[in-house]
Amino acid sequence: MLGPAFIEIDLALRQGRFELAVSARLGKVAAVLGPSGAGKTTLLEAIAGLRPSRGRLAIGGEVLQDTAAGVFLPPEQRRLGYVPQDGALFPHLSVLRNLTFGRPHRHAGGDGFEALVGSLDLEPLFARYPRHLSGGERRRVALARALLARPRLLLLDEPTAGLDPLRARKALAGIRRVREELDVPLLVVTHGQQEALALASEVVLLDAGRVQAVGPARQTLLAPRVLAHDAERRWENVAAAHLVRHDAEGGTSEVRLDGGGTVTIPYSPDLAIGSDLILAIDAEDLLLATSPPSGLSARNAVAGHVEELIPVGTSVYARVGPWLAHLTPAAVAELDLAAGNPVWLVAKTHSWRVVAG
Amino acid sequence: MIPAVASIDTASLVLFTLAVAAAATLLNLVPGIAAAWVLSRQGWRGRAVLETLVSLPLVLPPTAVGLALLLLFGRTGPLGRPLYERLGIDIAFTWRGVVLASAVVAFPLLVRSARSAFEEVDPRLPAVARTLGRGPVRAFFEVELPLAWRGVLAGTVLAFARALGEFGATILVAGNIPGRTQTLALALYQHVQVGRDREALKLAAISALLAAAALVLAEMVVHRREKTLAE
Repeated sequence: MLGPAFIEIDLALRQGRFELAVSARLGKVAAVLGPSGAGKTTLLEAIAGLRPSRGRLAIGGEVLQDTAAGVFLPPEQRRLGYVPQDGALFPHLSVLRNLTFGRPHRHAGGDGFEALVGSLDLEPLFARYPRHLSGGERRRVALARALLARPRLLLLDEPTAGLDPLRARKALAGIRRVREELDVPLLVVTHGQQEALALASEVVLLDAGRVQAVGPARQTLLAPRVLAHDAERRWENVAAAHLVRHDAEGGTSEVRLDGGGTVTIPYSPDLAIGSDLILAIDAEDLLLATSPPSGLSARNAVAGHVEELIPVGTSVYARVGPWLAHLTPAAVAELDLAAGNPVWLVAKTHSWRVVAG
Repeated sequence: MIPAVASIDTASLVLFTLAVAAAATLLNLVPGIAAAWVLSRQGWRGRAVLETLVSLPLVLPPTAVGLALLLLFGRTGPLGRPLYERLGIDIAFTWRGVVLASAVVAFPLLVRSARSAFEEVDPRLPAVARTLGRGPVRAFFEVELPLAWRGVLAGTVLAFARALGEFGATILVAGNIPGRTQTLALALYQHVQVGRDREALKLAAISALLAAAALVLAEMVVHRREKTLAE
Protein backbone atom coordinates (compact mmCIF):
# COMPACT_ATOMS: atom_id res chain seq x y z
CA MET A 1 0.00 0.00 0.00
CA LEU A 2 1.21 3.50 -0.79
CA GLY A 3 0.81 5.64 2.30
CA PRO A 4 -1.82 5.00 4.94
CA ALA A 5 -5.00 3.15 4.00
CA PHE A 6 -7.49 5.51 2.39
CA ILE A 7 -9.98 2.86 1.28
CA GLU A 8 -10.77 0.20 3.88
CA ILE A 9 -13.09 -2.51 2.63
CA ASP A 10 -14.36 -5.46 4.65
CA LEU A 11 -17.61 -6.32 2.94
CA ALA A 12 -19.54 -9.52 2.37
CA LEU A 13 -22.80 -10.27 0.67
CA ARG A 14 -24.72 -13.16 -0.76
CA GLN A 15 -26.90 -12.98 -3.79
CA GLY A 16 -28.53 -16.22 -4.69
CA ARG A 17 -25.65 -18.64 -5.09
CA PHE A 18 -23.06 -15.95 -5.56
CA GLU A 19 -21.05 -14.94 -2.53
CA LEU A 20 -18.79 -11.95 -2.35
CA ALA A 21 -16.31 -11.42 0.45
CA VAL A 22 -13.73 -8.69 0.02
CA SER A 23 -11.17 -7.36 2.46
CA ALA A 24 -8.64 -4.84 1.25
CA ARG A 25 -6.69 -1.82 2.49
CA LEU A 26 -5.92 0.48 -0.37
CA GLY A 27 -4.41 3.88 -1.05
CA LYS A 28 -6.01 6.64 -3.06
CA VAL A 29 -5.81 5.21 -6.56
CA ALA A 30 -6.71 1.57 -6.96
CA ALA A 31 -8.18 -0.83 -9.48
CA VAL A 32 -10.31 -3.91 -9.00
CA LEU A 33 -9.30 -6.35 -11.71
CA GLY A 34 -10.95 -9.61 -12.57
CA PRO A 35 -12.78 -11.63 -15.21
CA SER A 36 -16.46 -11.01 -15.88
CA GLY A 37 -18.59 -12.62 -13.23
CA ALA A 38 -15.94 -12.05 -10.57
CA GLY A 39 -18.26 -9.70 -8.70
CA LYS A 40 -16.57 -6.41 -9.59
CA THR A 41 -19.73 -4.42 -10.29
CA THR A 42 -21.47 -5.99 -7.31
CA LEU A 43 -18.60 -4.85 -5.11
CA LEU A 44 -18.80 -1.33 -6.49
CA GLU A 45 -22.54 -1.20 -5.87
CA ALA A 46 -22.07 -2.46 -2.33
CA ILE A 47 -19.46 0.25 -1.72
CA ALA A 48 -21.85 2.87 -3.09
CA GLY A 49 -24.50 1.62 -0.66
CA LEU A 50 -26.79 0.54 -3.49
CA ARG A 51 -26.71 -3.12 -2.53
CA PRO A 52 -27.11 -4.41 1.01
CA SER A 53 -23.95 -5.97 2.43
CA ARG A 54 -22.50 -6.81 5.80
CA GLY A 55 -19.25 -5.57 7.22
CA ARG A 56 -17.30 -2.37 7.42
CA LEU A 57 -16.38 0.30 4.92
CA ALA A 58 -14.35 3.41 5.60
CA ILE A 59 -13.14 5.98 3.09
CA GLY A 60 -10.55 8.52 4.15
CA GLY A 61 -11.15 7.64 7.79
CA GLU A 62 -14.92 8.20 7.54
CA VAL A 63 -16.91 5.09 8.43
CA LEU A 64 -19.68 4.74 5.87
CA GLN A 65 -20.82 1.35 7.02
CA ASP A 66 -20.19 -0.83 10.03
CA THR A 67 -22.70 -3.59 10.55
CA ALA A 68 -21.32 -4.45 13.98
CA ALA A 69 -21.88 -0.87 15.13
CA GLY A 70 -25.23 -0.58 13.38
CA VAL A 71 -23.97 2.01 10.89
CA PHE A 72 -25.19 2.00 7.30
CA LEU A 73 -25.15 5.32 5.49
CA PRO A 74 -27.61 5.40 2.58
CA PRO A 75 -26.07 6.15 -0.85
CA GLU A 76 -27.14 9.80 -0.74
CA GLN A 77 -25.03 10.35 2.37
CA ARG A 78 -21.90 8.52 1.24
CA ARG A 79 -20.66 11.13 -1.22
CA LEU A 80 -19.22 8.54 -3.58
CA GLY A 81 -19.08 9.41 -7.27
CA TYR A 82 -20.47 6.29 -8.89
CA VAL A 83 -20.13 6.05 -12.68
CA PRO A 84 -21.76 2.85 -13.98
CA GLN A 85 -20.74 1.21 -17.23
CA ASP A 86 -21.63 3.42 -20.22
CA GLY A 87 -22.41 6.30 -17.84
CA ALA A 88 -26.12 5.89 -17.12
CA LEU A 89 -26.97 9.50 -17.94
CA PHE A 90 -30.50 10.65 -17.21
CA PRO A 91 -32.15 10.42 -20.64
CA HIS A 92 -34.85 12.98 -19.83
CA LEU A 93 -32.37 15.69 -18.89
CA SER A 94 -30.07 17.77 -21.06
CA VAL A 95 -26.32 17.38 -20.65
CA LEU A 96 -26.19 20.58 -18.60
CA ARG A 97 -28.92 19.40 -16.24
CA ASN A 98 -27.22 16.02 -15.96
CA LEU A 99 -24.02 17.82 -14.99
CA THR A 100 -25.65 19.96 -12.33
CA PHE A 101 -27.84 17.18 -10.93
CA GLY A 102 -25.53 16.43 -8.01
CA ARG A 103 -24.64 20.03 -7.20
CA PRO A 104 -26.13 22.17 -4.46
CA HIS A 105 -29.16 24.00 -5.94
CA ARG A 106 -28.21 22.50 -9.30
CA HIS A 107 -25.81 25.35 -9.71
CA ALA A 108 -23.77 25.57 -12.93
CA GLY A 109 -20.62 27.56 -12.34
CA GLY A 110 -18.12 28.10 -9.56
CA ASP A 111 -16.50 25.44 -7.43
CA GLY A 112 -14.40 24.08 -10.27
CA PHE A 113 -17.31 23.79 -12.69
CA GLU A 114 -15.76 25.85 -15.50
CA ALA A 115 -12.37 24.20 -15.18
CA LEU A 116 -13.73 20.67 -15.37
CA VAL A 117 -16.17 21.49 -18.16
CA GLY A 118 -13.30 23.08 -20.08
CA SER A 119 -10.92 20.23 -19.41
CA LEU A 120 -13.38 17.65 -20.75
CA ASP A 121 -14.64 19.96 -23.53
CA LEU A 122 -18.26 19.62 -22.49
CA GLU A 123 -19.63 23.07 -23.19
CA PRO A 124 -20.60 22.30 -26.83
CA LEU A 125 -22.75 19.44 -25.51
CA PHE A 126 -24.73 21.38 -22.88
CA ALA A 127 -28.02 21.61 -24.77
CA ARG A 128 -27.96 18.07 -26.15
CA TYR A 129 -29.77 15.06 -24.75
CA PRO A 130 -27.94 11.81 -23.91
CA ARG A 131 -29.50 9.94 -26.82
CA HIS A 132 -27.69 12.28 -29.21
CA LEU A 133 -24.25 11.73 -27.69
CA SER A 134 -21.58 9.29 -28.83
CA GLY A 135 -20.36 6.61 -26.44
CA GLY A 136 -17.24 8.61 -25.64
CA GLU A 137 -19.18 11.82 -25.02
CA ARG A 138 -21.54 10.00 -22.69
CA ARG A 139 -18.64 8.75 -20.57
CA ARG A 140 -17.18 12.22 -20.35
CA VAL A 141 -20.47 13.71 -19.20
CA ALA A 142 -21.01 10.90 -16.69
CA LEU A 143 -17.48 11.33 -15.32
CA ALA A 144 -17.99 15.07 -14.97
CA ARG A 145 -21.42 14.64 -13.40
CA ALA A 146 -19.93 12.44 -10.70
CA LEU A 147 -16.94 14.73 -10.13
CA LEU A 148 -19.03 17.90 -9.94
CA ALA A 149 -20.82 16.49 -6.90
CA ARG A 150 -17.44 16.66 -5.10
CA PRO A 151 -17.19 12.98 -4.16
CA ARG A 152 -14.76 11.73 -1.53
CA LEU A 153 -14.03 8.80 -3.86
CA LEU A 154 -14.74 8.21 -7.53
CA LEU A 155 -16.08 4.76 -8.42
CA LEU A 156 -15.67 3.88 -12.11
CA ASP A 157 -17.14 0.72 -13.60
CA GLU A 158 -15.37 -0.40 -16.79
CA PRO A 159 -14.80 3.14 -18.07
CA THR A 160 -13.84 2.07 -21.59
CA ALA A 161 -16.11 -0.95 -22.12
CA GLY A 162 -17.70 -0.82 -25.55
CA LEU A 163 -15.53 2.00 -26.86
CA ASP A 164 -13.38 1.54 -29.94
CA PRO A 165 -9.59 1.66 -29.31
CA LEU A 166 -9.24 5.33 -30.25
CA ARG A 167 -12.09 6.48 -28.02
CA ALA A 168 -10.95 4.19 -25.22
CA ARG A 169 -7.50 5.77 -25.46
CA LYS A 170 -8.96 9.28 -25.25
CA ALA A 171 -11.24 8.26 -22.40
CA LEU A 172 -8.38 6.83 -20.35
CA ALA A 173 -6.25 9.89 -21.00
CA GLY A 174 -9.15 12.11 -19.92
CA ILE A 175 -9.68 10.18 -16.71
CA ARG A 176 -5.96 10.31 -15.88
CA ARG A 177 -5.76 14.02 -16.55
CA VAL A 178 -8.89 15.01 -14.65
CA ARG A 179 -8.09 12.74 -11.73
CA GLU A 180 -4.70 14.39 -11.37
CA GLU A 181 -6.08 17.91 -11.81
CA LEU A 182 -8.71 17.43 -9.11
CA ASP A 183 -6.60 15.05 -7.03
CA VAL A 184 -9.67 12.90 -6.45
CA PRO A 185 -9.27 9.38 -5.06
CA LEU A 186 -10.28 6.64 -7.46
CA LEU A 187 -11.43 3.05 -7.36
CA VAL A 188 -11.83 1.68 -10.87
CA VAL A 189 -13.26 -1.68 -11.85
CA THR A 190 -11.94 -3.28 -15.02
CA HIS A 191 -11.23 -6.59 -16.65
CA GLY A 192 -8.33 -5.15 -18.63
CA GLN A 193 -4.88 -5.29 -17.17
CA GLN A 194 -3.61 -2.40 -19.26
CA GLU A 195 -6.46 -0.23 -18.02
CA ALA A 196 -5.69 -1.10 -14.42
CA LEU A 197 -2.01 -0.32 -14.93
CA ALA A 198 -2.76 2.89 -16.81
CA LEU A 199 -5.07 4.26 -14.11
CA ALA A 200 -4.12 2.81 -10.78
CA SER A 201 -1.10 2.31 -8.60
CA GLU A 202 -2.65 -0.54 -6.65
CA VAL A 203 -4.81 -3.47 -7.65
CA VAL A 204 -7.22 -5.90 -6.06
CA LEU A 205 -7.46 -9.11 -8.05
CA LEU A 206 -10.95 -10.51 -7.73
CA ASP A 207 -12.16 -13.89 -8.89
CA ALA A 208 -15.45 -15.63 -8.08
CA GLY A 209 -16.18 -13.13 -5.33
CA ARG A 210 -12.86 -13.62 -3.55
CA VAL A 211 -9.71 -11.54 -3.38
CA GLN A 212 -6.83 -13.36 -5.07
CA ALA A 213 -4.20 -10.73 -4.37
CA VAL A 214 -3.87 -7.10 -3.30
CA GLY A 215 -0.95 -4.74 -3.59
CA PRO A 216 1.04 -2.35 -5.76
CA ALA A 217 -0.25 -2.84 -9.29
CA ARG A 218 2.74 -4.05 -11.30
CA GLN A 219 4.25 -6.08 -8.49
CA THR A 220 0.96 -7.80 -7.71
CA LEU A 221 0.29 -8.65 -11.32
CA LEU A 222 3.82 -9.96 -11.74
CA ALA A 223 3.59 -12.34 -8.80
CA PRO A 224 4.24 -15.86 -10.16
CA ARG A 225 1.11 -17.16 -8.48
CA VAL A 226 -0.94 -14.52 -10.25
CA LEU A 227 0.79 -15.10 -13.57
CA ALA A 228 0.16 -18.83 -13.25
CA HIS A 229 -3.46 -18.23 -12.31
CA ASP A 230 -3.87 -16.17 -15.44
CA ALA A 231 -1.72 -18.41 -17.64
CA GLU A 232 -4.29 -18.27 -20.42
CA ARG A 233 -4.23 -14.53 -20.60
CA ARG A 234 -1.49 -12.75 -22.48
CA TRP A 235 0.60 -10.44 -20.40
CA GLU A 236 0.46 -6.89 -21.61
CA ASN A 237 3.37 -4.63 -20.81
CA VAL A 238 2.23 -1.11 -20.01
CA ALA A 239 4.58 1.85 -19.79
CA ALA A 240 4.35 5.61 -19.45
CA ALA A 241 6.06 7.62 -22.17
CA HIS A 242 5.97 10.93 -23.98
CA LEU A 243 5.97 11.81 -27.61
CA VAL A 244 9.21 13.24 -29.02
CA ARG A 245 8.61 13.70 -32.75
CA HIS A 246 6.57 12.63 -35.73
CA ASP A 247 8.00 11.22 -38.94
CA ALA A 248 5.08 11.35 -41.35
CA GLU A 249 7.11 10.08 -44.30
CA GLY A 250 8.54 7.20 -42.34
CA GLY A 251 5.11 6.40 -40.94
CA THR A 252 6.36 6.45 -37.39
CA SER A 253 6.31 8.56 -34.26
CA GLU A 254 9.18 8.58 -31.80
CA VAL A 255 8.46 8.09 -28.14
CA ARG A 256 10.68 8.37 -25.10
CA LEU A 257 9.91 5.84 -22.38
CA ASP A 258 9.77 7.28 -18.87
CA GLY A 259 11.81 4.30 -17.68
CA GLY A 260 14.55 5.05 -20.26
CA GLY A 261 14.95 4.16 -23.91
CA THR A 262 13.39 5.38 -27.13
CA VAL A 263 11.00 3.43 -29.32
CA THR A 264 9.05 4.12 -32.46
CA ILE A 265 5.32 3.58 -32.65
CA PRO A 266 2.99 3.75 -35.66
CA TYR A 267 2.58 7.32 -36.97
CA SER A 268 -0.09 8.98 -34.77
CA PRO A 269 -0.55 12.57 -35.97
CA ASP A 270 -3.44 13.18 -33.55
CA LEU A 271 -1.01 13.04 -30.63
CA ALA A 272 0.73 16.31 -29.79
CA ILE A 273 4.51 16.50 -29.46
CA GLY A 274 5.40 16.34 -25.77
CA SER A 275 2.09 14.74 -24.73
CA ASP A 276 2.09 12.04 -22.08
CA LEU A 277 1.14 8.58 -23.24
CA ILE A 278 0.56 5.14 -21.91
CA LEU A 279 1.91 2.47 -24.25
CA ALA A 280 1.19 -1.22 -24.26
CA ILE A 281 2.85 -4.19 -25.89
CA ASP A 282 2.12 -7.89 -25.51
CA ALA A 283 4.78 -10.06 -23.87
CA GLU A 284 4.54 -12.28 -26.97
CA ASP A 285 5.69 -9.40 -29.15
CA LEU A 286 8.91 -8.68 -27.24
CA LEU A 287 11.95 -10.52 -28.61
CA LEU A 288 15.09 -11.04 -26.59
CA ALA A 289 18.57 -10.69 -28.07
CA THR A 290 21.79 -11.42 -26.22
CA SER A 291 23.80 -9.01 -28.36
CA PRO A 292 22.91 -5.55 -29.73
CA PRO A 293 20.58 -6.25 -32.66
CA SER A 294 21.69 -5.10 -36.11
CA GLY A 295 20.32 -5.59 -39.60
CA LEU A 296 16.82 -5.86 -38.24
CA SER A 297 13.79 -3.91 -39.35
CA ALA A 298 12.61 -3.70 -35.77
CA ARG A 299 13.54 -0.18 -34.74
CA ASN A 300 12.84 -0.57 -31.08
CA ALA A 301 15.67 -1.99 -29.03
CA VAL A 302 15.87 -1.34 -25.33
CA ALA A 303 18.87 -2.56 -23.35
CA GLY A 304 18.54 -4.14 -19.92
CA HIS A 305 19.31 -7.13 -17.79
CA VAL A 306 17.34 -10.28 -17.17
CA GLU A 307 16.18 -9.88 -13.61
CA GLU A 308 14.12 -12.98 -13.28
CA LEU A 309 12.93 -15.99 -15.24
CA ILE A 310 9.39 -16.91 -14.27
CA PRO A 311 8.15 -20.30 -15.44
CA VAL A 312 4.40 -20.28 -16.09
CA GLY A 313 2.86 -23.49 -17.35
CA THR A 314 4.82 -24.65 -20.38
CA SER A 315 6.47 -21.32 -21.05
CA VAL A 316 8.70 -18.75 -19.37
CA TYR A 317 8.46 -15.05 -18.76
CA ALA A 318 11.76 -13.18 -18.70
CA ARG A 319 11.54 -9.99 -16.67
CA VAL A 320 13.78 -7.21 -17.94
CA GLY A 321 13.28 -4.06 -15.89
CA PRO A 322 9.56 -3.35 -16.05
CA TRP A 323 9.10 -5.57 -19.10
CA LEU A 324 7.99 -9.15 -19.42
CA ALA A 325 8.93 -11.09 -22.54
CA HIS A 326 7.27 -14.38 -23.28
CA LEU A 327 9.67 -17.20 -24.24
CA THR A 328 9.64 -20.92 -24.79
CA PRO A 329 11.90 -23.07 -22.56
CA ALA A 330 13.78 -24.00 -25.76
CA ALA A 331 14.60 -20.35 -26.43
CA VAL A 332 15.81 -19.89 -22.85
CA ALA A 333 18.12 -22.86 -23.26
CA GLU A 334 19.33 -21.79 -26.69
CA LEU A 335 20.16 -18.26 -25.52
CA ASP A 336 21.56 -19.68 -22.31
CA LEU A 337 19.55 -17.07 -20.40
CA ALA A 338 20.03 -16.58 -16.71
CA ALA A 339 19.28 -13.82 -14.26
CA GLY A 340 21.81 -11.03 -14.60
CA ASN A 341 22.50 -11.51 -18.32
CA PRO A 342 22.57 -8.33 -20.41
CA VAL A 343 19.89 -8.46 -23.09
CA TRP A 344 18.18 -6.27 -25.67
CA LEU A 345 14.43 -6.19 -26.01
CA VAL A 346 13.31 -5.82 -29.60
CA ALA A 347 9.83 -5.10 -30.94
CA LYS A 348 8.22 -4.20 -34.24
CA THR A 349 6.87 -0.67 -34.48
CA HIS A 350 3.37 -1.98 -35.07
CA SER A 351 3.43 -4.11 -31.94
CA TRP A 352 3.16 -0.95 -29.83
CA ARG A 353 -0.27 0.35 -28.96
CA VAL A 354 -1.16 3.68 -27.43
CA VAL A 355 -3.52 2.92 -24.55
CA ALA A 356 -3.99 6.46 -23.28
CA GLY A 357 -3.02 9.71 -24.92
CA MET B 1 -91.37 14.47 -26.07
CA ILE B 2 -89.70 17.86 -26.13
CA PRO B 3 -86.26 17.61 -27.78
CA ALA B 4 -84.80 20.57 -25.81
CA VAL B 5 -85.50 18.90 -22.49
CA ALA B 6 -84.04 15.66 -23.72
CA SER B 7 -80.80 17.35 -24.76
CA ILE B 8 -80.46 19.10 -21.40
CA ASP B 9 -80.88 15.71 -19.77
CA THR B 10 -78.25 14.24 -22.04
CA ALA B 11 -75.86 17.09 -21.28
CA SER B 12 -76.14 16.62 -17.53
CA LEU B 13 -75.81 12.87 -18.01
CA VAL B 14 -72.58 13.38 -19.95
CA LEU B 15 -71.27 15.83 -17.38
CA PHE B 16 -72.08 13.50 -14.51
CA THR B 17 -70.43 10.58 -16.27
CA LEU B 18 -67.29 12.63 -17.01
CA ALA B 19 -67.16 13.93 -13.43
CA VAL B 20 -67.52 10.46 -11.97
CA ALA B 21 -64.85 9.01 -14.26
CA ALA B 22 -62.51 11.91 -13.46
CA ALA B 23 -63.06 11.48 -9.72
CA ALA B 24 -62.46 7.73 -9.99
CA THR B 25 -59.27 8.35 -11.94
CA LEU B 26 -58.01 10.91 -9.41
CA LEU B 27 -58.82 8.53 -6.60
CA ASN B 28 -56.78 5.82 -8.33
CA LEU B 29 -53.77 7.93 -9.22
CA VAL B 30 -51.71 7.83 -6.03
CA PRO B 31 -52.47 4.25 -4.91
CA GLY B 32 -52.23 3.09 -8.53
CA ILE B 33 -48.78 4.61 -9.10
CA ALA B 34 -47.64 3.34 -5.70
CA ALA B 35 -48.85 -0.19 -6.43
CA ALA B 36 -47.27 -0.08 -9.88
CA TRP B 37 -43.93 1.02 -8.47
CA VAL B 38 -43.98 -1.60 -5.71
CA LEU B 39 -44.89 -4.33 -8.21
CA SER B 40 -42.07 -3.25 -10.52
CA ARG B 41 -39.52 -4.07 -7.79
CA GLN B 42 -38.22 -7.62 -7.95
CA GLY B 43 -37.70 -10.16 -5.25
CA TRP B 44 -39.86 -9.40 -2.23
CA ARG B 45 -42.31 -11.57 -0.39
CA GLY B 46 -45.98 -11.10 -1.10
CA ARG B 47 -45.44 -9.71 -4.57
CA ALA B 48 -47.49 -12.49 -6.16
CA VAL B 49 -50.30 -11.92 -3.67
CA LEU B 50 -50.47 -8.18 -4.36
CA GLU B 51 -50.20 -8.85 -8.07
CA THR B 52 -53.21 -11.18 -7.94
CA LEU B 53 -55.20 -8.82 -5.77
CA VAL B 54 -54.60 -5.90 -8.10
CA SER B 55 -55.53 -7.86 -11.22
CA LEU B 56 -58.62 -9.47 -9.73
CA PRO B 57 -61.13 -6.79 -10.83
CA LEU B 58 -59.87 -7.30 -14.37
CA VAL B 59 -60.90 -10.95 -14.51
CA LEU B 60 -63.86 -11.10 -12.11
CA PRO B 61 -67.32 -10.38 -13.46
CA PRO B 62 -67.89 -6.68 -12.67
CA THR B 63 -71.12 -7.69 -10.98
CA ALA B 64 -69.13 -9.82 -8.55
CA VAL B 65 -66.88 -6.84 -7.80
CA GLY B 66 -70.01 -4.75 -7.31
CA LEU B 67 -71.49 -7.30 -4.95
CA ALA B 68 -68.29 -7.40 -2.89
CA LEU B 69 -68.23 -3.59 -2.72
CA LEU B 70 -71.90 -3.52 -1.73
CA LEU B 71 -71.26 -5.98 1.09
CA LEU B 72 -68.22 -3.99 2.26
CA PHE B 73 -69.62 -0.49 1.87
CA GLY B 74 -73.33 -0.97 2.47
CA ARG B 75 -74.70 0.69 5.62
CA THR B 76 -74.30 -2.58 7.49
CA GLY B 77 -70.97 -3.54 5.90
CA PRO B 78 -67.68 -3.60 7.84
CA LEU B 79 -66.49 -0.44 6.08
CA GLY B 80 -69.81 1.16 5.25
CA ARG B 81 -71.16 1.11 8.81
CA PRO B 82 -68.38 3.15 10.47
CA LEU B 83 -68.36 5.56 7.53
CA TYR B 84 -72.08 6.15 7.93
CA GLU B 85 -72.28 6.11 11.72
CA ARG B 86 -69.16 8.20 12.45
CA LEU B 87 -68.97 10.50 9.45
CA GLY B 88 -72.46 10.32 8.06
CA ILE B 89 -71.11 9.30 4.67
CA ASP B 90 -73.22 7.01 2.54
CA ILE B 91 -71.52 5.08 -0.23
CA ALA B 92 -74.08 2.63 -1.55
CA PHE B 93 -76.72 4.05 -3.89
CA THR B 94 -75.05 7.48 -4.02
CA TRP B 95 -72.70 9.13 -6.51
CA ARG B 96 -69.86 8.07 -4.20
CA GLY B 97 -70.78 4.47 -4.90
CA VAL B 98 -70.52 5.16 -8.63
CA VAL B 99 -67.05 6.66 -8.16
CA LEU B 100 -65.92 3.76 -5.97
CA ALA B 101 -67.19 1.07 -8.34
CA SER B 102 -65.63 2.77 -11.38
CA ALA B 103 -62.36 3.28 -9.53
CA VAL B 104 -62.02 -0.32 -8.40
CA VAL B 105 -62.77 -1.74 -11.83
CA ALA B 106 -60.43 0.70 -13.59
CA PHE B 107 -57.58 0.33 -11.07
CA PRO B 108 -55.81 -2.69 -12.66
CA LEU B 109 -55.59 -0.92 -16.03
CA LEU B 110 -53.68 1.98 -14.51
CA VAL B 111 -51.45 -0.30 -12.47
CA ARG B 112 -50.53 -2.68 -15.28
CA SER B 113 -49.57 0.03 -17.71
CA ALA B 114 -47.68 2.10 -15.13
CA ARG B 115 -45.94 -0.97 -13.81
CA SER B 116 -44.45 -1.97 -17.12
CA ALA B 117 -43.34 1.65 -17.57
CA PHE B 118 -41.49 1.52 -14.23
CA GLU B 119 -40.00 -1.84 -15.13
CA GLU B 120 -38.52 -0.30 -18.26
CA VAL B 121 -36.63 2.37 -16.34
CA ASP B 122 -32.96 1.36 -16.10
CA PRO B 123 -32.56 0.61 -12.37
CA ARG B 124 -29.13 2.22 -12.46
CA LEU B 125 -30.69 5.63 -13.05
CA PRO B 126 -32.42 6.02 -9.68
CA ALA B 127 -29.31 4.38 -8.20
CA VAL B 128 -27.08 7.09 -9.68
CA ALA B 129 -29.52 9.73 -8.46
CA ARG B 130 -29.10 8.31 -4.96
CA THR B 131 -25.32 8.57 -5.16
CA LEU B 132 -25.76 12.17 -6.32
CA GLY B 133 -27.48 13.04 -3.07
CA ARG B 134 -31.15 12.24 -3.67
CA GLY B 135 -33.15 10.29 -1.14
CA PRO B 136 -35.40 7.51 -2.45
CA VAL B 137 -38.46 9.78 -2.66
CA ARG B 138 -36.73 12.54 -4.60
CA ALA B 139 -35.04 9.97 -6.84
CA PHE B 140 -38.52 8.66 -7.62
CA PHE B 141 -39.98 12.07 -8.46
CA GLU B 142 -36.96 13.40 -10.31
CA VAL B 143 -35.93 10.31 -12.25
CA GLU B 144 -38.29 7.34 -12.20
CA LEU B 145 -41.62 9.13 -12.57
CA PRO B 146 -40.48 11.46 -15.38
CA LEU B 147 -39.08 8.45 -17.24
CA ALA B 148 -42.15 6.28 -16.69
CA TRP B 149 -44.43 9.25 -17.39
CA ARG B 150 -45.77 8.03 -20.70
CA GLY B 151 -46.79 4.62 -19.41
CA VAL B 152 -48.40 6.21 -16.37
CA LEU B 153 -50.37 8.60 -18.57
CA ALA B 154 -51.40 5.83 -20.93
CA GLY B 155 -52.63 3.79 -17.98
CA THR B 156 -54.45 6.78 -16.54
CA VAL B 157 -56.28 7.43 -19.79
CA LEU B 158 -57.14 3.77 -20.14
CA ALA B 159 -58.48 3.73 -16.59
CA PHE B 160 -60.46 6.91 -17.27
CA ALA B 161 -61.97 5.41 -20.41
CA ARG B 162 -62.83 2.23 -18.53
CA ALA B 163 -64.45 4.26 -15.73
CA LEU B 164 -66.51 6.16 -18.32
CA GLY B 165 -68.11 2.93 -19.44
CA GLU B 166 -68.37 1.10 -16.11
CA PHE B 167 -71.68 -0.71 -15.77
CA GLY B 168 -71.77 -4.04 -13.90
CA ALA B 169 -70.18 -3.05 -10.61
CA THR B 170 -71.88 0.35 -10.61
CA ILE B 171 -75.40 -0.95 -10.99
CA LEU B 172 -74.94 -3.23 -7.97
CA VAL B 173 -73.30 -0.67 -5.70
CA ALA B 174 -75.18 2.44 -6.77
CA GLY B 175 -78.27 1.26 -8.58
CA ASN B 176 -79.58 3.07 -11.62
CA ILE B 177 -81.20 6.18 -10.20
CA PRO B 178 -81.78 8.89 -12.84
CA GLY B 179 -80.38 12.21 -11.68
CA ARG B 180 -78.53 10.60 -8.79
CA THR B 181 -76.39 7.66 -9.85
CA GLN B 182 -77.26 7.22 -13.49
CA THR B 183 -74.30 7.38 -15.89
CA LEU B 184 -74.28 7.10 -19.68
CA ALA B 185 -73.85 3.34 -19.57
CA LEU B 186 -76.68 2.90 -17.07
CA ALA B 187 -79.02 5.20 -18.99
CA LEU B 188 -78.23 3.35 -22.20
CA TYR B 189 -79.23 0.09 -20.52
CA GLN B 190 -82.48 1.64 -19.33
CA HIS B 191 -83.33 2.92 -22.83
CA VAL B 192 -82.73 -0.53 -24.30
CA GLN B 193 -84.90 -2.17 -21.70
CA VAL B 194 -87.88 -0.01 -22.51
CA GLY B 195 -87.27 -0.21 -26.25
CA ARG B 196 -86.03 3.35 -26.88
CA ASP B 197 -83.44 2.11 -29.35
CA ARG B 198 -82.72 5.51 -30.91
CA GLU B 199 -81.99 7.09 -27.54
CA ALA B 200 -79.82 4.12 -26.64
CA LEU B 201 -77.87 4.41 -29.89
CA LYS B 202 -77.34 8.12 -29.31
CA LEU B 203 -75.85 7.45 -25.88
CA ALA B 204 -73.71 4.67 -27.31
CA ALA B 205 -72.36 7.08 -29.91
CA ILE B 206 -71.63 9.73 -27.26
CA SER B 207 -69.83 7.14 -25.10
CA ALA B 208 -67.69 6.05 -28.04
CA LEU B 209 -66.90 9.68 -28.84
CA LEU B 210 -65.84 10.49 -25.29
CA ALA B 211 -63.60 7.44 -24.96
CA ALA B 212 -62.02 8.06 -28.35
CA ALA B 213 -61.44 11.72 -27.49
CA ALA B 214 -59.65 10.74 -24.28
CA LEU B 215 -57.40 8.30 -26.13
CA VAL B 216 -56.60 10.78 -28.90
CA LEU B 217 -55.81 13.54 -26.41
CA ALA B 218 -53.41 11.28 -24.53
CA GLU B 219 -51.76 10.23 -27.77
CA MET B 220 -51.22 13.89 -28.69
CA VAL B 221 -49.70 14.79 -25.33
CA VAL B 222 -47.36 11.82 -25.45
CA HIS B 223 -46.38 12.62 -29.00
CA ARG B 224 -45.65 16.24 -28.27
CA ARG B 225 -43.44 15.28 -25.34
CA GLU B 226 -41.58 12.82 -27.53
CA LYS B 227 -40.88 15.60 -29.98
CA THR B 228 -39.53 17.99 -27.35
CA LEU B 229 -37.32 15.24 -25.99
CA ALA B 230 -35.94 14.52 -29.41
CA GLU B 231 -34.94 18.11 -30.06
